[in-house]
Amino acid sequence: MVLRQRPRLLAAPAAAAACALLLLGPAGLATSAAAATPSSTSGKTLRVAMDSSGVDTLNPFTAYFNGSYDIFGAIYPTLTVIGQDGRPNPYLATSWSMSSDHLTWTFKIRKGLKWSDGQPLTAADAAWTLNLIMTNEVAGTANGTLVSNFSSVTAPDPTTLVIRTKQPQSNLTYISTPVYSIPIVPEHIWKSHVADLKNYKNDSFPVVGYGPWQLTGYKTDQYATLDANKSFVLGAPKYDHLIEQLYKNSDSAVAALRSGQLDYIEGVNATEYSSLKHASGVTTTQSAGNGWTGLELNPGAKTRSGKSIGTGNPALTDPTLRRAIALSIDKQTLVTKVIDGYGSVGQGYLPPAWPEWVWKPSAGEEQTYDPAKANQLLDQAGYKRGANGIRINPKNGKPLALRLGIHSDDSYDAAISPYVAGWLKAIGVKVEIDPMSMTALNSDLGKGDWDMLMDAWTNGPDPTYMLGIQSCTTLPDDQGNGGNTDAFFCNPAYEKLLSQQQTQFVPAQRAKTVDQMEKILYDADVDLMFYNKTMLTATSSKVTGMNTGTPDAKDVYPAQSSFWSYLKATPKAGDSGSSSSNVGLWVGIAAAVVVVGAGVTVVRRRSGADDRE
Amino acid sequence: MSAAQVLSSQEVAAAVPARFAGVRRFARAFRHRPSGVAGLAVLLLFSLLALVAPLFIGQDQLDVTKVDGPLLSAPSGHYPLGTDQAGRNVLLLLIWGSRESLRIGIIATALTVVIGAGIGIVAGHYGGWVGRALMHVTDWFIALPSLPLAISLAAVLGQGETSITIAIAATSWTATARLVRAQTLAVEARPFVERARALGAGDWQIMVRQVLPNVTPLILVSSTLTVAGALLSEATLTFLGLGNPASITWGEMLNNAFFNGAFTADAWWYLLPPGLAILVVVLGFTLTGRAVEHVLDPRTEDRS
Repeated sequence: MVLRQRPRLLAAPAAAAACALLLLGPAGLATSAAAATPSSTSGKTLRVAMDSSGVDTLNPFTAYFNGSYDIFGAIYPTLTVIGQDGRPNPYLATSWSMSSDHLTWTFKIRKGLKWSDGQPLTAADAAWTLNLIMTNEVAGTANGTLVSNFSSVTAPDPTTLVIRTKQPQSNLTYISTPVYSIPIVPEHIWKSHVADLKNYKNDSFPVVGYGPWQLTGYKTDQYATLDANKSFVLGAPKYDHLIEQLYKNSDSAVAALRSGQLDYIEGVNATEYSSLKHASGVTTTQSAGNGWTGLELNPGAKTRSGKSIGTGNPALTDPTLRRAIALSIDKQTLVTKVIDGYGSVGQGYLPPAWPEWVWKPSAGEEQTYDPAKANQLLDQAGYKRGANGIRINPKNGKPLALRLGIHSDDSYDAAISPYVAGWLKAIGVKVEIDPMSMTALNSDLGKGDWDMLMDAWTNGPDPTYMLGIQSCTTLPDDQGNGGNTDAFFCNPAYEKLLSQQQTQFVPAQRAKTVDQMEKILYDADVDLMFYNKTMLTATSSKVTGMNTGTPDAKDVYPAQSSFWSYLKATPKAGDSGSSSSNVGLWVGIAAAVVVVGAGVTVVRRRSGADDRE
Repeated sequence: MSAAQVLSSQEVAAAVPARFAGVRRFARAFRHRPSGVAGLAVLLLFSLLALVAPLFIGQDQLDVTKVDGPLLSAPSGHYPLGTDQAGRNVLLLLIWGSRESLRIGIIATALTVVIGAGIGIVAGHYGGWVGRALMHVTDWFIALPSLPLAISLAAVLGQGETSITIAIAATSWTATARLVRAQTLAVEARPFVERARALGAGDWQIMVRQVLPNVTPLILVSSTLTVAGALLSEATLTFLGLGNPASITWGEMLNNAFFNGAFTADAWWYLLPPGLAILVVVLGFTLTGRAVEHVLDPRTEDRS
C-alpha cells in the first residue's frame, strides 16, 4: 500500500496529471512556465522542478505532500539536520545529551539567531511548537505520531530545550529534521492562529521563518519563489533566489531543462534519464534510492483480536505457495527492463539511501529466481496442475487464481504487472490484473479484500515508521477500522524486536536488532521486495555542487536532500545567470502588447459601430 | 398480349430478388465513390489482419516475460517498427492491438445502436408523455460532458475492456436516439403505416414491421460513424490509464509509450504507429459512412 497514512510518500498520480494536461493543453504549460519569471530580481536565480506531488498546504501542521516538506525544509529551522553520514547533526541544537534513565533529553540551542522579522529565535519557539503538536489535535495532523511518546517539553532558558519521554525513545534526535520531520515555527506569529489552525493557509508573504531561504510567494499548483538568507548559520546559499516550479508531467520538466528554462530535476524516469545522459548542457547523476517497489501477498488478513476478515484467497496463507511466488519472480529482469538498470534488486526491507539500516541475506539464504524450484515446491505440497495448466488448491479443490491490485495512476505498476502475470502463469497460478484508484486500493487493503497488491514506499533516515507498519498493533479492529498495517503481517518475534530497538541508544546495537527484523520479514514472503530504484537527477551544466557526497564504485551518490542540494548549488563561473528568464519576460511583454492592442482595436471598432447606428 | 407478357415477366424478375436488386443498385452507386471504396478497403484490410493475426502471432511474442528483443530500439530489418520498453516487436503489437481496439469499437457501437434505436423508435412511436420523458432523458445525457462521464463510469465499474465498452455506449447513444426518433415520426406519417393501423396492427407490429425496416439505412450510416467515435473514445480512455495494462490495444500502446518517456527518448517508432493506425481506421469508417450516407440519400451531398 502506498501512502495510506502519508500521502507525501509518493509522487503525484500520473493519470491526474494527464487529465490536467489534457484540460490545460499546451497553453496551460506555457503560461505557467512564463509566469515563473522572477518579478523583481537582481542576482542569480536557481530554478528547480518542485516535487511532482506539489504543495497541499503551506501550513506545516497539516501538510502531507513532499513538495510542501521541501519548502518547509528551506524556510523553517529544525533541531537537527541529517548530514552526509545519514545521522542527525547540529542545526538549531548544537549538542544534546540524555539522562541515565534514558527518559530526559537536553538540547543546547544556538544563541543569537533571529527570525526573518528580527525577533529572537530561542528554545521557547521549539518548546511551543512541540507542545502545540502534543496538545492540539489539529496541530498533530501530520506529525503527531512523532511526539506521541513525549510527556513534556520545556524551555527553562533561551538556550536549553528539555524533552521528557514516557518510554525510552531511540529515534528522538530524528523528530525534527529538515524535509523529513517537524519544522519549528515562530511562536509570536503562530500564537494568534492556533484557534483557526485547520483553515490557516500561512500565505502572507514573505513568510516569517528561519532557514537557508525565505518564502516570498506561492502560486497554487504553479510555483513558489524564495529569497536567500545570506546570514544562514550553516553557510549562505550561493544563489540569490530560488524558484520551485511544479510540472505535473515529467516530460515537460525535461523539455524545460533542455531549453534552459530549468536548472534541476530530481526524479526523472529511466527513459528520460537515458536520453538526457547524452544531451549537451545537462549533467545526470544517480543517488541512492530511499524507497522500494514490491508486491504484498495477503497472508490471511486478521484483526487485532485474531478474527479473519476480508475475501483474501485462503491459499496464500500457505507459506509454501508464498515462497514459490517469491522464487518465480525474476527481479533482475524487472531492474533491467522496467527501470532500465537504474537500481538494484530488492532484498532488505529498508532502502539503500540509509546504509546504517541496510540488511542483506547471507549467502545460501538468498531467494533467487528459480521457477523450477518453485514448481517443485508446489508439486510436493500437493498443488496439482489441472486442465489448462492452472494448479488446484488441494484444500478446497479450487484453481489457483489470484487478483493483482495495481495503482491505475502508476506507470511502474502498469509496466510490472504483465511480468508478474507471466511468471506466475509459468508456475501454474492464474493472475487477474485489477487496476484501481489509490483510494479504492487502500480501502480494499484495509478490509482485507485482496490477494496481491503492488506496493511502494519511501522513507526518511529513521526507520521507526516503516518498521511500525509491520507491527500487530497496526492491524485493524474487528469492524475493520483504525489499522494502517502494510500487509496484515503479525509476528510475535518481530514484535519483541520492535520494542527492543526503540530502547537501544547505541546506533550499532539498534542496527543489529533492525537487521534481525528485516530477516524475519524477508523469510515471511509477505512483502516481496522487487527493486530499489536509484534517484535519478538531471542538472543544468550551468550549476555545480548540487550533488553532495562522493559517488561509490557504481557512480551512485549517497542519498540527496533538497535542503543540502539547494544550499550547496553554485553558479558556474562566467555564467550570467538566468538569461532565459529575460526571454520569458520579453515574450510576456510582447504578448501583453498584442493582447492590449487587439483589445483596443476591438473596443474602438465597437464604439465605431455604435456611432454608425 | 405480348406487351402484357413482357410486363409480367419483368414483374416476376423484379419481384423475386427485389432486395438483392436494391443491394446491387446500392453497390453500383457506392462503386462510383472512390473515397468510400478507399475507406472500405482500409477497413477490410485491418479486419483481415485482425482476424488472421493469431495464425502468425503467438502469445510468446506478446508475453513480456518471454520476449528477448533489444529494449526500445529503433526500427531494423528484424523489427520493422522497432521494439517497446520490454523488447516486444511494435509491428506485432500494432497488429494484435487492432483486434482489441476494433472489438471494443464494434461492440460499443452495437450497444449504442441497440439502445439508441430502441429509445428513438419507442419515443417516436408513442409520443405523448412517454416520448417526452425519453427525449428529456436523452437531452440530459447530451448535456453531460461525455469524457468526464466516461471516466467516472469506468472508475465506478472497475477498469478494463468491459467497463470501457459500457462507458462508450452510455455516452454515445444519444445522437442515434435523436436521429431515429425524427425518422420514426416521418415514417409514421406515411399512408402505409396508417393502412397497417387500419388493418389492426398493434404497436409492436408497427414498430418492428413498418418503422424499423425504414429507419435501418439511417441506423447503418449513423453506426459506421459511431464506430469511428467509439474507437477514438477507446483510445482516449485507455490512454488516460483506464484500461487493463495486460491487454494490448492501440490506446494502451500510446499510454505505455507516453508514460514511460518515449517522447523524451525520441522513440517515434513506438508513438507514431498506434496513433497513425487509429487515424487510418477512424478515417476508413468515416469515409465509408459518408459514402453510404450519400448513396442512400443523395440530398445530403450538397450539405457536406
